[in-house]
Amino acid sequence: MSESIDRDLTLSVNGIAYPVSVDTSRNLLSVIRTEIGLTGTKEGCDDCECGACMVLLDGQPVNSCSYLAAQAAGREITTIEGVMDGQELHPLQRNLLEEGGVQCGFCTPGMIMSATALLARTPSPSDEEIRIGLSGNLCRCTGYAKIIAAVRRTADEA
Amino acid sequence: MTVTEPHTARPAPRFVRADGPDKVTGSGRYTADLSLTGVLAAKFRYADVSHARITRLDVSAALAMPGVMSVLTAADVPDVRFGPFVQDRTLFATDVVRYEGEIIAAVAATTAEIAQRAVDAIVVEFEPLPVVTDLEASLAPGAPLVHDGWAGYGAAEVVVRDRNDASFSSITKGDAAAAMATADVVVSSRYVADGCHAAPIEPRAVLAQWEGDKVTIWTSTQVPFDARAGVCETLELPANRVRIIVPHLGGGFGGKCGFHYEAHIAALARAAKRPVRLVFSRREEFLAPDRRREGMIIDITTGMRSDGTIVARTGWIAIDNGAYTADAGFFSQLAAMHLAGPYRVPNVSIEAHLVYTNHQPSGSVRAPTAPQACWALESHTDELAKAVGLDPVAFRKLNAVDTGAEGPSGQTYDEIGLQQCIDAATANAGYGQELPDDEAIGVAIGWWPSFSVPSGAYVKIDGDGSGQIITGAQECGTGAVMTLRQLAADELGMAPEDFQLVYQDTSVAPYDMGATGSQTLFNNGRAVVNAAGQVAEQLRKLAADHLEASPDDIVLADGHASVAGTPAATVSIAELAGIAAGGELLIGHGSGQPPGPPPLVGSTCVGDLGMAAFVAPQFSCHAVRVKLDRDTGVARVLAVSTAHDSGTIINELGALGQVEGGVLMGIGQALTEGTTYDDQGKQRNAAMLEYKLQTCADAPPINTHFVQIATPDAGPRGAKGLAEAPNVATAAAISNALAAIIGRPVRRLPMTAERVWETLNEEAAR
Repeated sequence: MSESIDRDLTLSVNGIAYPVSVDTSRNLLSVIRTEIGLTGTKEGCDDCECGACMVLLDGQPVNSCSYLAAQAAGREITTIEGVMDGQELHPLQRNLLEEGGVQCGFCTPGMIMSATALLARTPSPSDEEIRIGLSGNLCRCTGYAKIIAAVRRTADEA
Repeated sequence: MTVTEPHTARPAPRFVRADGPDKVTGSGRYTADLSLTGVLAAKFRYADVSHARITRLDVSAALAMPGVMSVLTAADVPDVRFGPFVQDRTLFATDVVRYEGEIIAAVAATTAEIAQRAVDAIVVEFEPLPVVTDLEASLAPGAPLVHDGWAGYGAAEVVVRDRNDASFSSITKGDAAAAMATADVVVSSRYVADGCHAAPIEPRAVLAQWEGDKVTIWTSTQVPFDARAGVCETLELPANRVRIIVPHLGGGFGGKCGFHYEAHIAALARAAKRPVRLVFSRREEFLAPDRRREGMIIDITTGMRSDGTIVARTGWIAIDNGAYTADAGFFSQLAAMHLAGPYRVPNVSIEAHLVYTNHQPSGSVRAPTAPQACWALESHTDELAKAVGLDPVAFRKLNAVDTGAEGPSGQTYDEIGLQQCIDAATANAGYGQELPDDEAIGVAIGWWPSFSVPSGAYVKIDGDGSGQIITGAQECGTGAVMTLRQLAADELGMAPEDFQLVYQDTSVAPYDMGATGSQTLFNNGRAVVNAAGQVAEQLRKLAADHLEASPDDIVLADGHASVAGTPAATVSIAELAGIAAGGELLIGHGSGQPPGPPPLVGSTCVGDLGMAAFVAPQFSCHAVRVKLDRDTGVARVLAVSTAHDSGTIINELGALGQVEGGVLMGIGQALTEGTTYDDQGKQRNAAMLEYKLQTCADAPPINTHFVQIATPDAGPRGAKGLAEAPNVATAAAISNALAAIIGRPVRRLPMTAERVWETLNEEAAR
């Protein structure tokens, strides 16, 4: 039986500092979901293929299933729970609903994180840039058209 | 012909889902997000071999591990054999394992890591048995049996079985052999489809907790009442001691239909006297459930007159059932119907076999059997058109069914819109335009039944005038349950936002079949309209008393009850609700009689599981523009144009989402999604790295037109089902585009780059 090696870390998630004590082998996804208790970030494949676990690390999208929690210490982590503007939906969240870009919703948090990062670095993306920017996030429900429309509209409204 | 502007020319309607805010903020809980104090983690020991006799099973080392709270095998649960069509399944393997994902034992431990170590410590020894993987070999006389004891299994009376043939079905109409002999032109084809997966992005999860002699199970199922029935049957419990609750469900596509692991986890929790939670890995999601899309071998022969009129069709289908029958019992008849197709065929003889193999069991994945059989039929149809020198679209217009026509199983259709679908989809695709040599537009038509079944709902208005719909229906993402608010609101003259939904809880709401068969709006819509109608009647009486008028003159609109023709005589529904709160409460309950099956004339069906007569049949035509790289065989879908007759469309934004999602799934099935097996029947590509879903970068523009015909004997306002139909014809249309570019069809599904390249080279060598 392998001995676990716990390490004390402070993880900054959505602007709040969380002290955690976790095995150094733990991935960021499981620490966010179980130790920190934010379950909006999903696990879909544990293989970097589906993007359901996407979070932002200092603004960059990262598959948290394949990132060690220990590596995230000292960096700013943003999850879906940190996207709302106070009590108001972020325009991207509202537009996803109004355009019909949400069905089962399981891919939605990861999709929003990728789209947020895309719009931050490319405020007026072409449709092709949106397609490429979201190509690491699998959605099985929508056929993507209404997700692309929501990102497009968010960019146009900004 | 009727062709309207594509929907993109109009402003999109603003339908905001009741569950939307939960889903975009991350506050919505899915099953794997739940926990309970003292919860244990569950892991399964799988067979890992495809066919073998268990000669030794020893769990003592696992049980002795610190942290292990319970270990179960077949010896620890009631000896019950179950299955909706053939009772060929047990919760745990008893004597023989028949596919790699079969469960031999289950462990509950304080952590998932300990549970996995305990699973690994279970000793299992096997004596190998011959592995059956080939469908034709499985049907041959003297083939090794997948189930030695098949003849002794219980089964639904109508299921026709013989050894490895778990369900045989045939459609016979007229005299196909005689008609074929008189045909001017006869074309025969063979097509072979691989199996594939539903692949919802949420892997399944189950959490169970006992309190006294009652168990609550939170589970990611599409069919909560079916899950409850499975728990009750296998653990021998009455329905009122088992409560199934489904938190938000992260997609299903049929993969989460049926009864899966709820009983295993409930049994573990009872044994451990602690709550137990199971969360599947993606690999388990690929290997274990009895719900993958079935592989098929399809032979089809059609005889025509020289003008292209079809005179006869014969067919033979072998469907990979896998090791257990699950809900696939009706697949043989459904596949036969899809091979016959929505055509006027006077003489038909089609036989279909559901064949046991040592593969993972098949089950209802979005429009089961239809994409594969439609792909074969519609590829064959382009071969027919070519053989008589007709344009493929003209050939379909000539032979496809229309209002008042008789279909291949002897059903005569009320007003239907298939011909309009063909016109709209091809016109919107620009079919007939000049294209580069490496591009073509392929066209295919499809159909799918609506499922008419019992369903129930309650509607109540509380004292403040806010409403609740308490429904047995299950939301899997389609928006069908969300649309129920619109139906209730329209009955009551209120706004959809005035209603909250209470759903996905078997102890709270009346029965519904679940998110399966595209049936939610069709059947539960009827129930909600019924229930809301009762409350509307109560409101009219209350308003009549209040306004001193006759209930017949009361109109409910804009949140008010008013006297017709006297707008000043009005009272708000909220005020009426306040009055009702002090007396007879505003409560409605609805179900209603499901529409009955249409009659069939002149056909005979052996193994008739009710699929030969299509209630409120849905029709579609897809026209797909494809570009092919001849050097590599890589095909790219450039644009898709669809037209659907799903009757009245109640929620257009939701409906468009179903079509677009179904089309993209169809593109995956056409080009990249296929399970490959090794010679021992084990999956080779049980991971998303090797099993490729379509991404955002692959997604083409999709143009959709709804041919809206208010259908009698259908769902509310003449609506038919919708969610599965868009998944039927896309792969077939892509096949026809590829065949037009290459010069011959690709006869294997998925039409991977390798297979396309081989076909290109065969054609070049000719």
